[in-house]
Amino acid sequence: MGRFWAIFFGLAAVITFVVSWISPGMNWWFPGDQLAHSTLGGKIDDLFYLTMVIVAVTFVATNVALVYALWRGATIRSDERVWFSHGSHSLEVIWTIVPASVLLFIALYQLDVWAAYRIKGFVKDSDGKPKQIVAVAEVTARQFEWRIRYPARGKTLQPKPQPDDVYTVNELHIPTGDLVSITLRTDDVQHAFFIPELRVKQDAVPGKLIPVWFDALETREYEMLCAELCGWGHYKMKAKCVAHSVEDFEAWKDKASAEQFDDGYRQPVAE
Amino acid sequence: MMFRATFLSTLPRPSRMGFPSVLLCGLALFHLGCGPGPQAEFKFRDSTVDLIGDANREVKKTLKDNFGTPQTLVAWERFPVEYGGVKGAVTSIGEDKSLVVTVDGDPKMIQQKDPLIWISGSLVGEKNATSATVKSFDPESKKLVLEGAAVAAVGDRFAVDFGKDLQDGRKIYMKNCMHCHGVSGDGAGPTGEFLNPRPRDYRNGTFKFTSTRTGEKPNRDDLDRIVRYGIPGTYMPSFLLLGDHETAVVVEYVRWLSIRGEFEKRLVAELASDYSKTAINDAASKAEAAYKEKVKNGEAAEKAPSQSTARQNATNEFKKYFTEDYPAAIEETANLLAEYWNRGQEAESVVVPSVHRVNDTPESRERGRLLYLSDKTKCYTCHGVTGRGDGSATEDFWPKPNSSEKFSKRGLHDEWGNQLKPRNLTLGQYRGGRRPVDLFRRVYAGIKGTPMPAFGGTALKDDEIWDLVNYVMSLPYTEKQPSPAASSHGNVAKREEKSAH
Repeated sequence: MGRFWAIFFGLAAVITFVVSWISPGMNWWFPGDQLAHSTLGGKIDDLFYLTMVIVAVTFVATNVALVYALWRGATIRSDERVWFSHGSHSLEVIWTIVPASVLLFIALYQLDVWAAYRIKGFVKDSDGKPKQIVAVAEVTARQFEWRIRYPARGKTLQPKPQPDDVYTVNELHIPTGDLVSITLRTDDVQHAFFIPELRVKQDAVPGKLIPVWFDALETREYEMLCAELCGWGHYKMKAKCVAHSVEDFEAWKDKASAEQFDDGYRQPVAE
Repeated sequence: MMFRATFLSTLPRPSRMGFPSVLLCGLALFHLGCGPGPQAEFKFRDSTVDLIGDANREVKKTLKDNFGTPQTLVAWERFPVEYGGVKGAVTSIGEDKSLVVTVDGDPKMIQQKDPLIWISGSLVGEKNATSATVKSFDPESKKLVLEGAAVAAVGDRFAVDFGKDLQDGRKIYMKNCMHCHGVSGDGAGPTGEFLNPRPRDYRNGTFKFTSTRTGEKPNRDDLDRIVRYGIPGTYMPSFLLLGDHETAVVVEYVRWLSIRGEFEKRLVAELASDYSKTAINDAASKAEAAYKEKVKNGEAAEKAPSQSTARQNATNEFKKYFTEDYPAAIEETANLLAEYWNRGQEAESVVVPSVHRVNDTPESRERGRLLYLSDKTKCYTCHGVTGRGDGSATEDFWPKPNSSEKFSKRGLHDEWGNQLKPRNLTLGQYRGGRRPVDLFRRVYAGIKGTPMPAFGGTALKDDEIWDLVNYVMSLPYTEKQPSPAASSHGNVAKREEKSAH
């Protein structure tokens, strides 16, 4: 029976490793083309892959050790002398210090990325200057949709609604290039704003206005959804984020504004 | 030590079958939870159920024959619903019975084994009865070979895959809408009762936020807007990402459900006064009372028939009615509904302002404010002097429509009997849309099924409505004034006086 468990855990580890290895090729990995489509997202991916490598090495090493121990235990002769490792001081020291230093390394290494996501001025241009953050919209999550308010063209986003604000629902329009920020809030319960391909995710918490910034590298549509089980209609909260070029963004806003302030008057057709 | 040992031995020992039986239980529960639920069915109105035996049965049969069940829908061509499919006509007939046809839509939509029905000529069948299937069709030469069909004549019109969109619409509806609006569109889905405001019951054929004139049905664009953008301030969410085809077919399905519901309502209304249990019992007890009254006064009187006799009489009468008048009642009801829904779709039914929006100046807003507070519009009685929806009408007990009874709760009620708050205009939340034209239409044509009256054409001229719209649209952005209710206590006024001195 002992050999069975050695083979069982050995196979489980091998299968896990193989499935993880082929995942990207089978499209079981990140959504879309599996790449981050924002500069901040690229940093997140770098961190993720670094952690992934560390974890993979650890996983393989611990499983080799586990299978070896199981196999040795199952095949040991009754007259053979065993090595009793419990209470070994040097072993305890090694497996405390090694993981601790790895964790400490990750904790220090990720500080820049955390700061870029959370503290203004930490995303730099190519010439080292802090990148500007443009407030584009206020995004209000509610059961079960996203309602979005933009400032009128040429104006800045105000905390309170303005008469010339532009509104959309389930469609977040942003310009590419600059870092754009949204003010995230919720009308009812907790939701989470999530654009997987841009690697941005933030909980919307009742009573809080949370700034979230990100950028999009390409002018196209990105999937946007709720990542917090918010009620029975959670699955209905699918939306899209539309990234325009700066000119197109202004043109879109003009068009949306014209539609929103349509007075319905139509010149009667001359007969 | 002894004590502990005996104590332990009394504990039940874990059975060797413990884990497998727990697993089995879990699987059984999983299967129960994920298995098919009860079969969906169209519910009938209470008023239909209230009809006496024969009438009850016949009305249900009529509905089933003409609208089907959620599993097998019946597309009644009479009504202006885009049931889907490709229509065409026969142009010539080959010797091998193959047909050359013209097709109205995309010829590539016609596929092998698609069902085909005839909609004109001698082969016209019953509603959606399948009379043939497509054996082969060549989109280039438009040569159509049918399987097992009688020979058609040149000029006969047919439809392939008729009702496809209605079926698609049902799928979308059952997935996204049924949860609140219910299988029959009665607003009584599983989540419906927990929502405030309640989900719309389509079966009256009344929709609140439309672009059409007072009393007209909504048009397709109205329903499309609601599905796409939702209704802010209610639980109706936006279904913007549903897709164009999906939105179009679900709108058709809602129109169809609404027609089905109103058809039932009108047909039953036709019968209810003579053939409903309530009406018969009422009449019988009234006759009984009158008889007793007469006997008491010593007058000669005929004994009133008992309730069971009255019901028997009604059943006999219904037999006569059923053969003589019932088919005509169905025809009339169907014609009326077809006419209403067709008219709602016409361009003339849409409220279009005759003038541009009046410039949003302080003067215009002031004119609007005076109109708002005038007795011509009486806006303030419901929406309140400051626009917060706290007018005096919300404090009154209102009579139920067509009844001397009053609602048990204070305030206004809608056609569906739900308590209804007048909109708070200072929030900047507009259920029927925030475009100026949306607000114009609300004032012009009123809100259907609610106490919001129509002002357009009669009470207010178009530019006056625009003044009113300008004033209402400015309310969310003006300094909040203390409501008269608060100042009536005198506190606010006094404090202001003090600070002034």
